[in-house]
Amino acid sequence: MEAAGTGPVEGHANVPATDEPLLEVRSLVMRFGETLVQEGVSFKVEVGAIFAIMGVSGCGKSTLLRQVIGLLQPAGGQVLYRGTDYWAGDIAVRTKLRSGCGMLFQSAALWSSMTLLENVCLPLEQLTKFDRGQREARAAEVLGWVELEKFGAYYPADLSGGMKKRAGLARAIAAAPPLLLLDEPSSGLDPISSKHLDDLILDVRKRTGAAVVLVSHELPSLLAIADGGIFLDADSKRPIAHGSPKELRDHPEHPTVRAFMLREDLPAQQGNAPDPNRREQAKSSK
Amino acid sequence: MQGSVSNALRAISFLGKIPLSTAALLTGGARFPRRDFGRVALQCSALALIIVVVVNLLVGAILAFVGAVQLIKFGAGVYVADLVGIAVVREMAAVMTAVVMAGRTGASFAAELATMQTNEEVDALEVLGLDTVAYLVLPRVFALTLILPLLYVYGCIAGLSGGLIVAVSMMNISTPAYLDRSVEALTSVQFALGASKSLFFGALVALTGCYYGLYAERNAAGVGLATTGAVVSAIVGVIALDAIFAFCANALGV
Repeated sequence: MEAAGTGPVEGHANVPATDEPLLEVRSLVMRFGETLVQEGVSFKVEVGAIFAIMGVSGCGKSTLLRQVIGLLQPAGGQVLYRGTDYWAGDIAVRTKLRSGCGMLFQSAALWSSMTLLENVCLPLEQLTKFDRGQREARAAEVLGWVELEKFGAYYPADLSGGMKKRAGLARAIAAAPPLLLLDEPSSGLDPISSKHLDDLILDVRKRTGAAVVLVSHELPSLLAIADGGIFLDADSKRPIAHGSPKELRDHPEHPTVRAFMLREDLPAQQGNAPDPNRREQAKSSK
Repeated sequence: MQGSVSNALRAISFLGKIPLSTAALLTGGARFPRRDFGRVALQCSALALIIVVVVNLLVGAILAFVGAVQLIKFGAGVYVADLVGIAVVREMAAVMTAVVMAGRTGASFAAELATMQTNEEVDALEVLGLDTVAYLVLPRVFALTLILPLLYVYGCIAGLSGGLIVAVSMMNISTPAYLDRSVEALTSVQFALGASKSLFFGALVALTGCYYGLYAERNAAGVGLATTGAVVSAIVGVIALDAIFAFCANALGV
């Protein structure tokens, strides 16, 4: 089963043309120890697409994202960046492939001992040949994009949750990666901040041409920005739907997708009883 | 049993990364945060000095008290300077300084790294392709390994001073007599033995703190467990290492 994020957008100067999809996941198998989390996960993300990974809590969305970025090794299957298998390469190949990705973590994961400016400068120091002046200028520029240009000297502890998320986004896009991975970007934000972040993500795509893979529960966000996606099912431990959130909302074929998209109760036979495997998975993921 | 084996393998793997990351650092293949090194060096030197001095002063005084009671019975009260000098320089200053630093700095390393792990800050470094051992562990290990011998020197001075205060104030031994006995009893070999032990203790305390921090569970309880584990393991490790040093020194006739 396979799905593809839809077309590129204008203005992606940082992304060279290629025939291969920017990111392709083939028959991925995710396990925690002996516990199967998901299997048969396949999708493609094209340049400039915004691709959503959806599903109920505990179905393995964030785990999938961590396997895509290379923080966890899958039990099977392939993760290909422009046709190159991430896990088949040595550490140098993996580091190079990973340098093409920017990630916004669920907690923003700003380095607490650094100011915002330093947080944004570190990826530039690591991934570009900019001198210090160029790094600081670029960091100030991307902080400006997320409306934090006046907060460069602040430490993460001095910021609100929404500001941290925006700063995390600025850090992720600083080195202009062709692929952005966003883990629950809107979680914990009020509707206004959430909408603001959605607009920023669209703005970043327009400015950089980066493709975006995001994990989210926030239906309004998903519907507003994603143009492709995959729905993971915690019970069957397989993807059960592919398509944009709008398509899945308008034509939900699976009861779980329908319940998720239309905020309905699951049919009784679907069973909301606690799944011991899911509990074990949650424990292992800590 | 399986958990113990996997923990042991994980610890061995962690220790194996230290020379690899050091080599990468020396060949320009890894990034070393000099500012973090400076911050950690300050944290485990000037800011730790008072507690190290106080603890060693009291240990020196206690040794003098205990020794004096026995030595005075034999009319050999002045030899309390020998007892305090050798015990402090050879053993107690290095061990007590390391124990203090395990409780203070080792715990701080574990808590800081465990919190970074919980907040996904370590993952964010890995996503950048940074060598997290070189970036997070080596500055702490280098700082504490270099600073602990310096703290040991202060610990020696404080311990000897504690003995002197007790000897002069309670045993009517004159300061010159006490100092003469101390100079006669202490040799450079004993000082070198104590200083070299403190080098190893510094590395041990820092490595233990970083190990527990980096492999902490990603929740609040995990931070607490990492801190406790780091302190307990470091203290037990310091004493075990000291026993090995004592055995080797005895075998070598030092």
